[in-house]
Amino acid sequence: MPTMPIRKNLFVSSVFLVGNIFLSTPKVIAEQTFSIGAIPDQNPERLNRLYKLLSEELSEKLEVKVRYVPVINYTAAVTAFRTGNLDLVWFGGLTGVQARLQKPGAKVIAQRDIDSKFTSVLIANKSSGIPTIKNIKDLKLLKGKRFTFGSESSTSGRLMPQYYLEKANVTINSFKGKRPGFSGSHDATLALVQSGSYEAGALNEQVWKANLSRKRVDLSKVKVIWRTPPYANYHWLAQSNLDKRFGKGFTSKLKTVLVGFSSKSPRQKEIMKLFGAKKFVPANANQYVEIELIGRKLGKIK
Amino acid sequence: MKKIYLSSPILCLLPALAIIPVLTNLILNIHLGGVYLLLDFLKSAITPSTDKLVILSAIKGLGITATIAISSWAISSFTGIIIGIISSNKFWIFLKGPSWLGKSIRRLLAFPRSIHELIWGLLLQSTLGLSPLVAIIAIVIPYSALVARVVADQIDTIDDRSLIALIQAGTKPINALITSIGPAILPTIISYIGYRLECSLRAATILGIFGMGGIGSELELSLRSLEFNEMWTSLWLLIFSIFAIEELLDRFRLWLFTKSSSGRRIIISLILVIIITIMSIILLYIQNQGLFLDIRWNTVKLTDIQKLLIAFNELDWLNLYADTLIMTLLAAGIAIGIPPLTLLILPAEIGGKFLTIIWTFFRAMPIPLTALILLLFTTPSIYVATLALAVQNIGVLGRLLKEGIEQQKNELFHSVTSTGAKMRSAWLYSRLYSESKSYLGFAAYRTDVLLRETAVVGVVGGAGLGWQLQESLSSFDWAQVILIISGYSTLTLIGEAISEYSNNNWINSSNSTPSHHSLQY
Repeated sequence: MPTMPIRKNLFVSSVFLVGNIFLSTPKVIAEQTFSIGAIPDQNPERLNRLYKLLSEELSEKLEVKVRYVPVINYTAAVTAFRTGNLDLVWFGGLTGVQARLQKPGAKVIAQRDIDSKFTSVLIANKSSGIPTIKNIKDLKLLKGKRFTFGSESSTSGRLMPQYYLEKANVTINSFKGKRPGFSGSHDATLALVQSGSYEAGALNEQVWKANLSRKRVDLSKVKVIWRTPPYANYHWLAQSNLDKRFGKGFTSKLKTVLVGFSSKSPRQKEIMKLFGAKKFVPANANQYVEIELIGRKLGKIK
Repeated sequence: MKKIYLSSPILCLLPALAIIPVLTNLILNIHLGGVYLLLDFLKSAITPSTDKLVILSAIKGLGITATIAISSWAISSFTGIIIGIISSNKFWIFLKGPSWLGKSIRRLLAFPRSIHELIWGLLLQSTLGLSPLVAIIAIVIPYSALVARVVADQIDTIDDRSLIALIQAGTKPINALITSIGPAILPTIISYIGYRLECSLRAATILGIFGMGGIGSELELSLRSLEFNEMWTSLWLLIFSIFAIEELLDRFRLWLFTKSSSGRRIIISLILVIIITIMSIILLYIQNQGLFLDIRWNTVKLTDIQKLLIAFNELDWLNLYADTLIMTLLAAGIAIGIPPLTLLILPAEIGGKFLTIIWTFFRAMPIPLTALILLLFTTPSIYVATLALAVQNIGVLGRLLKEGIEQQKNELFHSVTSTGAKMRSAWLYSRLYSESKSYLGFAAYRTDVLLRETAVVGVVGGAGLGWQLQESLSSFDWAQVILIISGYSTLTLIGEAISEYSNNNWINSSNSTPSHHSLQY
């Protein structure tokens, strides 16, 4: 039977090949790269533009090679932080808490000036007939409507809106079809509500404003019906081992660099514009205690 | 006897009734805002984006998906063959080893097989991090087990008289095994392995939709931001490549089996496979420098009994199981019943061609993508998930049925038409009748596959175990994750046992010789 030796050879050669690739990796690991990432809360092309600029800026200021690693969903961002694929991540409130619980010692580095008092908006398609809501109790008008959140793990696109909706006895089973949609991102929520695919939805107010100023909102089709009370949201979270890997004082240098971004440098100005804020400010873990409580209450943190 | 003759073609058609509740629910939930989006989506099919960047990133995405598919296919084929051999009864009998070894290996294999590659992918992503290698391993685990099962079945069911003769003549058992069994089972196995390549491509696409890179990610991102023109660029590319692979594999089978010199052709094809595999692994390495570098082993803190108990009480098992089963059964009904029904309504030449095109299209549509598209104009529900599942499987079963019918001899059909029967009833009682028993057998296997695939749509339709798994994973609740996976595994193992039982009944009662199709489950 002539076929057997060939199969054997193939097996041996493929094992050899795979082995070779594994063995050749340490060379690449030797040059330390500072990997940054973010939860994919907006359209990817916008994130790519933003994080390319940020990588250049950080690389110059911190004198290390910086790489932006895009991820496809919120959970993947948390996982990548836990597995150590990412050194510094722009997390939402909930994902940041999830990441810190799984990686004790991780450091909250900074947030934007707008993040300590962040808000979400509920928007509705005008043809849905949903009125502007003045009293939180009137959120019950959303019962039986087609409603979409953003990502399952989004603080401003799911957690906080769901928390306030439940205060008006609107649970995730109250919507049409007995379940809400999960669009995946704030931009997607806007597009789906504006198109009429969903009658109403919840999104991050900063993204809403950014879309307004870029004229991507058609105000004849969609309107804001309610705004949540303020809560703490997005922040930079860094691994605890950065000083060990990139040199003593690296973490505090990183903090200084981020907080020092100003409109004097054209690149820093552009970065902050894309972040939809004026500057980064120091932040600490205590700000997210409420988010953690609500996360536990709604079962998103165990 | 007459009753039995009547029943099997009708049994093929009856499950189509499942489409009634599913479509009714979807149509009742269609809304105007969504109808415009749907029209927009359909219009974009003829005007896909021709932007150079979009085309380039679609091609790059397809490249990544194809290399993931080919590497995982090749690796799973070889490990599958090896495990298949050592898990067969004959191997141990002729090695004079303990026969329980083969049996226990086979039992163990049921577990990796019972879990969908997407679930493996999501799990591995949690422990190994972001890397295309995760996608490869996720496909290799269940696929190796699937190939191993077929190989072991083939080895154990073929006629072994020549083997016994060789051994009695003094040939070493292992040599006798190779020389007598090899040529007899290789054609079927090669044919089956060829089919696994199609499956690998689909699997790699789905893993991409869930974040593991390639054309799936391109499709998901453009659909999520409602960039339909860009989405169609990727979708057409995917459809054409799946079509091309199917065609190539069909030609390959013909080439492999028509001439008597098939021994040499088998060797040539094996060499070809080696070259393609090595090229794809090299390509994958070049495309993604960080491929092997990003792998890190991260243990998830395993939970204790108490946490498991809490998680067990938190989960709404009754509803989760009910949703999963309803989805499976309705989708199976539609996927089994619609192909013969449409062939019955459109038995003419043009109808057949039309259906071939539609079915090819259905097979190429990634299931979660279909679900996301349906969600644009209707509300999330178990029916959306069901229809999305059914669509792809109509494509698979339709092709199987049509090819089976085309291979039939015309005598029965002509004798029935010559009695003056109308074309349609003649078709029903001759063509469909002859094919119905084996078709139902394959359909039983397919129901098995459908049960596993509910994992893929549950997430999008917001229903069943698949959805709960995604929810638990995004809450990083490992106790729940472990329970749901065990629950899933139990369900699919029971399903497998039932379908095997009913399949044995159908296959045994029909006299059809097993073709390569019989293995396409």
